[in-house]
Amino acid sequence: MSVPLAAQRRLRIVASDRLLAIFTLLSQREGTRPRAGSLCAVAAEFTNLSGAGIALVSTGRQYTSLCTSNTVARKLMDLEFTVSEGPCVDACLSEFAIDEADLIAANDRRWVAYAPSATDAGAHAVFGFPVRIGAIRLGALSLYRDRPGPLNPSQLSDAYLMASVIGRAVLAMQAGAPPEMLAIELEREATFDFSVHQAAGMVAVQGSMTVGDALVALRAHAFATNTALSELAVRVVIRQTSFDPNFGAWRDNGVALTE
Amino acid sequence: MARESLLIATLVELADNLVDDFDVIDVLTLLSLRCVDAIDVDAAGVMLASPGGELQFIASSSESMRVLELLQIQADEGPCVDCFKSGTAIINHELVEPDQRWPNFAPRAIALGFHSVHCLPMRLRGRTIGALNFFRKEKGLLDDEDVVLAQGLADVATIAILQHRTSLDAKTLNTQLSIALDSRIIIEQAKGKVAQATGTGMDDAFNRLRSHARNHNMGLTSVATMVVEGSLSGTNLDVPGPAKRH
Repeated sequence: MSVPLAAQRRLRIVASDRLLAIFTLLSQREGTRPRAGSLCAVAAEFTNLSGAGIALVSTGRQYTSLCTSNTVARKLMDLEFTVSEGPCVDACLSEFAIDEADLIAANDRRWVAYAPSATDAGAHAVFGFPVRIGAIRLGALSLYRDRPGPLNPSQLSDAYLMASVIGRAVLAMQAGAPPEMLAIELEREATFDFSVHQAAGMVAVQGSMTVGDALVALRAHAFATNTALSELAVRVVIRQTSFDPNFGAWRDNGVALTE
Repeated sequence: MARESLLIATLVELADNLVDDFDVIDVLTLLSLRCVDAIDVDAAGVMLASPGGELQFIASSSESMRVLELLQIQADEGPCVDCFKSGTAIINHELVEPDQRWPNFAPRAIALGFHSVHCLPMRLRGRTIGALNFFRKEKGLLDDEDVVLAQGLADVATIAILQHRTSLDAKTLNTQLSIALDSRIIIEQAKGKVAQATGTGMDDAFNRLRSHARNHNMGLTSVATMVVEGSLSGTNLDVPGPAKRH
């Protein structure tokens, strides 16, 4: 479908106007010092939703959380990484928005593990928007609301605009960092969960398995015990929880756990 | 898909494309107009430094402002030029005739009806990238609240420009980001393997990876990759000498 030129012109004006609104919100929070945390806060405020989170996806398909705007958003992000499903994970791989306007009523078959836990965490409607620049995938913006209901057309286009701004803001923060290093602006403010990867390394040695398999085992155990993946990872790192290959079981302070 | 939602999807995609290639001049013109609405000034304009360091006119709220911005560039004098060169704000500068500071600029500005000028630098990572100019027809002072607001608007302009510049080299930057994220993840995984294999903490594990990399003249990421893939055991890494505390 081709959009008439007059409509394109009108859209361009609307886009400029809304972009200016985003830039204004960002400048109110950060002046001109880019900070990862303000992106999530501005995303929630600009789209008029309950909360927001941003995930980045690496070339090796590893997801990392860049920021979350509140504790519910943090729980939702953690949940998605644990069960490997949900709007943010789906949006990372999608061209378009992912939406579930009513998590409870939908009786979800798409996200069997995610939907009930997300509802428990306090989300009633969830949305995921790919963060990409042209064909380049960077990650996704996830948004939630504590009440059910779809996004209206202006919220929808605002969220797309915000996702585009996020993509550039993240790249702008990375600009100037030495090769193979994450920019300080990204590391300092971001909620990157690197302990998950440390724990995967430890479990790989404990169970004589690959790091990839260790990550899968960690996720499965977190889900089975209704624990956040990041919490389990911290317990592994401080050597409270470990994997015993002889019995194929997890141990907490040396005591075998039954799942 | 219903016709209506197809239309929305198309419009949304188009809006996305507009951001991919957003019109920085359009956004900054809009910002200049907002300045005139929001603070007690009669005209506003944005000038930006080119990669070579030359000031360029980008956007303004009116034609007379555009004329004055171009004049400053031609004559290499005026509030914007001074503000950009010094990186400091010029607030409440009253124009007089004859003007010793700006002999070419001042009479032209007065002829167009402007009697005071203000200019705020646009600063990014310690560098001045441009300046936001305000002209008033009245002689009086800008109040403090307006000055704060004006600095906020200069920040908005800076963010817009940063966004626009990033779009231009997005591809290279994303590759760098992706590599940086991947190598960071691999290093964390390797730290976990080394910590478990040697019964040490994460800091010790990291120091071992680093000193092994240094001793064998290898990159940290390469050593970490070997550990993660299993071709180098965590117990076979060089142990660093006594740790230097800082």
